[in-house]
Amino acid sequence: MTQSHDDDEMLAAELALGLLEGDERNSVQRRAASDPGFAGLVRGWETRLSTMADLPPVTAPPSVKAALMADLFPETVKPPIWKRLGVWQALTGGAMAVALVLALMLTPLSGPNTTGPLYTAEITSDIGDFRVVAVIDKSRQEVILTRTLGGAPEGRILQVWAHGPDEPAQSVGLWPAGESIRLPLPPDIAAVRGTLTLGVSEEPPGGSLTGSPSGRVFGTVDIANVTGAG
Amino acid sequence: MTEAKEGDREDNAPPPQDRVEELIARVSLGERAALSELYDLTSAKLFAVSLRVLGERQSAEDAMHDTYVKIWKNAGRYRVTGHSPMSWLITIARNTAIDRLRARRNHAHVGDYEDTLAAPSQTPEQATIAASDARRIVACLDTLPEDRRAAITGAYLDGQSYAELAEAAKVPLNTMRTWLRRGLIALRECMDR
Repeated sequence: MTQSHDDDEMLAAELALGLLEGDERNSVQRRAASDPGFAGLVRGWETRLSTMADLPPVTAPPSVKAALMADLFPETVKPPIWKRLGVWQALTGGAMAVALVLALMLTPLSGPNTTGPLYTAEITSDIGDFRVVAVIDKSRQEVILTRTLGGAPEGRILQVWAHGPDEPAQSVGLWPAGESIRLPLPPDIAAVRGTLTLGVSEEPPGGSLTGSPSGRVFGTVDIANVTGAG
Repeated sequence: MTEAKEGDREDNAPPPQDRVEELIARVSLGERAALSELYDLTSAKLFAVSLRVLGERQSAEDAMHDTYVKIWKNAGRYRVTGHSPMSWLITIARNTAIDRLRARRNHAHVGDYEDTLAAPSQTPEQATIAASDARRIVACLDTLPEDRRAAITGAYLDGQSYAELAEAAKVPLNTMRTWLRRGLIALRECMDR
């Protein structure tokens, strides 16, 4: 063990314990966010220390869960104004332009059965390193996605997921390469009415083996008031 | 602190790791039913953590609420962090409870979960090793001199700062920092044996 490795181990342990303060805390925190090796040391200490809090279970009162669910999923509350106006208005200018171009390029302008609604949405990661614009074309029961920022890490691919309200998520398909992809909606997803949730994760080549995301989920988006085709 | 003993105890079998992991993955896609099941499987373990840290029921219940909101919002980052699922959940519960405790005491917060992250992903083998390491820490803590063990548990479970630990042990702050660092080095060496 080198001196500097020992120092790093101790800083990592002190960060995990919450003992650092002020500027020192801020700079070590920044390092944990940017240096994967150091982040691994912090994670190691968090894991080791977490057994100190591995205590005999104590049942929480049912009111805690009820309040949590009501708070996270306030069904009775009216959707915010931007949702009522439609997703188009909620998109940023750039994303809207991309979505418009996508919709015009990929959707035939004439032909039978092209009257279904078109929904657009944007999936962004909370740390701002990934962004995808999605267009759901109900006339063709397809989703068209295009990356505007970020992508799968080296040796990994993207996978697209979706689910309806209170339904289990399922894979819509793999997105192995390219800026854009067009995927047919699985029948269960095509049948969703109301809120449709779309998400994108990164997975091994060939996709997740578990039936659920096995890598990082970049983000999800809820598309409200989805109806059928035509 | 005595209130923790009044709660209903359940059997102490840990929630099944594979199931917890799958539920976290489904929560990351915004599946409400998965959050509900994850809560049912893990809330008694996490409530025990909140109660131990905060020492009274109402604060512990409030901390639980915040903990599961964070889990709902951050589930997508779980794999990126390289934790085993229960250590990840316990770490969020512990940090949330400590933040609440320190807010009460007017300390700076220990940091939201989303402040850090991005360790390389763990393989299942590494997770298993981590779990057995974790069991050993308890035995290794017992080998430390009492003052060093008290410093580590005081920081982790009671959210004490160096200044508070030093005051409680009636030693200068730098002495406490040395004690704690030596305790941590001894802990790691014990676990490496």
